[in-house]
Amino acid sequence: MAESTLRESIVAPTTAPAPASRGARVLQFVADRGIVVFTVGLIVFAIVFVNGFASVSNVSDVFYRAAPIGIVALGMTFVVISANYLDLSVVAQVATAAVIFIGVSNQAGIIAAVLVAIVVALVYGLVNGIAVGYFRANAVIVTLATTFIGLGILRWLSGGSIFFGPDGGIVQSLGQAKVGPVPLSAIVLIAMAVILGFVLQKTTFGFAIRSYGSNKAAARLAGVQTGRLVVGAFIITSLSAMVAGFVLAAFSNTAVSSMSDGYDFRALAAIIIGGTSVFGGRGSVLRTLLGVVFVSVLTNILVLSGMGFGLQQVAIGALIVIAVSVDALARKLVKS
Amino acid sequence: MPDLTRLRAVLARRTEGRAVVLLIAVLVAAVAFEPVVFSSFQVVLGRVALIGLVALGLTAVILLGELDLSVASTLALSGVVMASIPDPVLGVVAALATGLVVGLINSFFVVVVGINSFIATLGMLFALRGAAFVLSGEEPVRLTNIDAGIAFGAPLIGPLTPRVLLFFLVFAALQVFLSRTRIGREFYAVGGNRQAAIDVGIPVRRRLVLGFLISGVVASLAGVINTLERTAADPTAGSTVLLASFAAAIIGGVLLNGGRGTVLGTLIGALALSILQVVLTLSGVQVDIQDIFVGSILLIAIISDPTRLRASVSRLRDSLSRSRTRAPA
Repeated sequence: MAESTLRESIVAPTTAPAPASRGARVLQFVADRGIVVFTVGLIVFAIVFVNGFASVSNVSDVFYRAAPIGIVALGMTFVVISANYLDLSVVAQVATAAVIFIGVSNQAGIIAAVLVAIVVALVYGLVNGIAVGYFRANAVIVTLATTFIGLGILRWLSGGSIFFGPDGGIVQSLGQAKVGPVPLSAIVLIAMAVILGFVLQKTTFGFAIRSYGSNKAAARLAGVQTGRLVVGAFIITSLSAMVAGFVLAAFSNTAVSSMSDGYDFRALAAIIIGGTSVFGGRGSVLRTLLGVVFVSVLTNILVLSGMGFGLQQVAIGALIVIAVSVDALARKLVKS
Repeated sequence: MPDLTRLRAVLARRTEGRAVVLLIAVLVAAVAFEPVVFSSFQVVLGRVALIGLVALGLTAVILLGELDLSVASTLALSGVVMASIPDPVLGVVAALATGLVVGLINSFFVVVVGINSFIATLGMLFALRGAAFVLSGEEPVRLTNIDAGIAFGAPLIGPLTPRVLLFFLVFAALQVFLSRTRIGREFYAVGGNRQAAIDVGIPVRRRLVLGFLISGVVASLAGVINTLERTAADPTAGSTVLLASFAAAIIGGVLLNGGRGTVLGTLIGALALSILQVVLTLSGVQVDIQDIFVGSILLIAIISDPTRLRASVSRLRDSLSRSRTRAPA
């Protein structure tokens, strides 16, 4: 099933295949399917060679760390596929949702907290989406502006302080909940991947997003309501960032405005390493999930082998450039 | 009368309109609420130099229709490189060479491999920051020669510190380069219409390389200045610089798709933002609320592009009315 979804995502809106040399075909295969091979290869490598990787506690730790950033990346895939680069404001959104999840539920209960968070997520999605979709403004700058505004409001209202959930409260019990050996956050991650994957691959909306990302002008001429489409993509990203904020808050039972620093580019890194094209149109939610798993496992291996934060950053940077270089070279060879 | 039409024609060609409006608005607000700003212009100039310098280099790349997200990491890495070398002169040279190498690597990926500059420089954002952390051992590196740093902070000509002088030097150089030299004018052609630029025989690849070299070296110069002023290099330095410098360029009227905008606009944009921040600080407004101001101004600036605003509003109205007529069906 995984393979068929992957193939579909590649076949759907791309250009017609051109006859290519063997070298180009190999490169094309690596660019298209490489992430599956690399992810499986990396996991096998880790199980065999890395001490302490294949233990229940370590694997569940990998999932704990991967879940929030992964959920953000899954949602942001929609913005990337619609050829709008990324949503920088997820940094502000995740932190806001986390602070609301703990701060508001301490005051007024968890249902009120979730409702407030949903309203906030919708406001983010609408502002970003309308500015990008209707005013045709550049998504990087729009979401940069909403990051400034959102983080400013959050720090101002929260006073930059740390919010703690009560011991034994509902937030803490959600964070520690497990089904068998599987932490709840991992289940949320997989569930989000299934839902969002379905929306992107099987619904009219998902198809419209992909065709709009491939060719904006053609989608517009075909009568697609492009403005609403972009608003929809940003709202999905915002709702995912909200869920990520809940998971992040539940994990540590605390929330602070700086807890999601760097989530913008880290999520984009996972999306790109998964093989979704930033030019729009090509990619899938499954690819993003694989990209998240790949980056998380690699980071875990580096940590287990005693490498510091600096080398982890270098590795992620190199991976982004390598992943995209292979893709670019493959396309160059196919063209020539 | 004919003079007036000519004036109007000149104004219509300029791209700095919104930055000038913002600057005037900020100055009026300053006169009304915090006239102290005008006596503390040294503080303002120091701020302009910090945000503005990186923004100036960035402008050259944006005019080409490309992006450079690696500037903040370049700033941090060159600062660390400089502080790790005991000899101050050698340190500065090594830091600037770092910027040059970063520019070369960026342009290699963009020009030779053919990756979108947004992604290539995103990769470099991570890689260079990581390198800065590795090199510094994840801690701020103290400058060995602290006297040089102290001397650097002292006024050189009148009240102007070397930092401010360097900033205006870079501004003047880029302004002349982009508006008065043939190669500089070709930057606009490359950003305005890449295919047309290729067709008329402009060496587009070489212009792209030059653009990334400019932004890399200018960012590393900012790293040098920052390190000298603080007498230490922080590997996390410049994390807010990336966003602020983009804001300055965009408010200054530099079109993100390339081909339109001026260095002067970026200067005015940086000036307006810096004065605004100083005014707000002096009036006791928290940093958080200052961010809300900056973000709102940026959002208004990007959606109020005069050439596109009318079309955008009609699109929005059109879409809303269509959904209203459809709803009952």
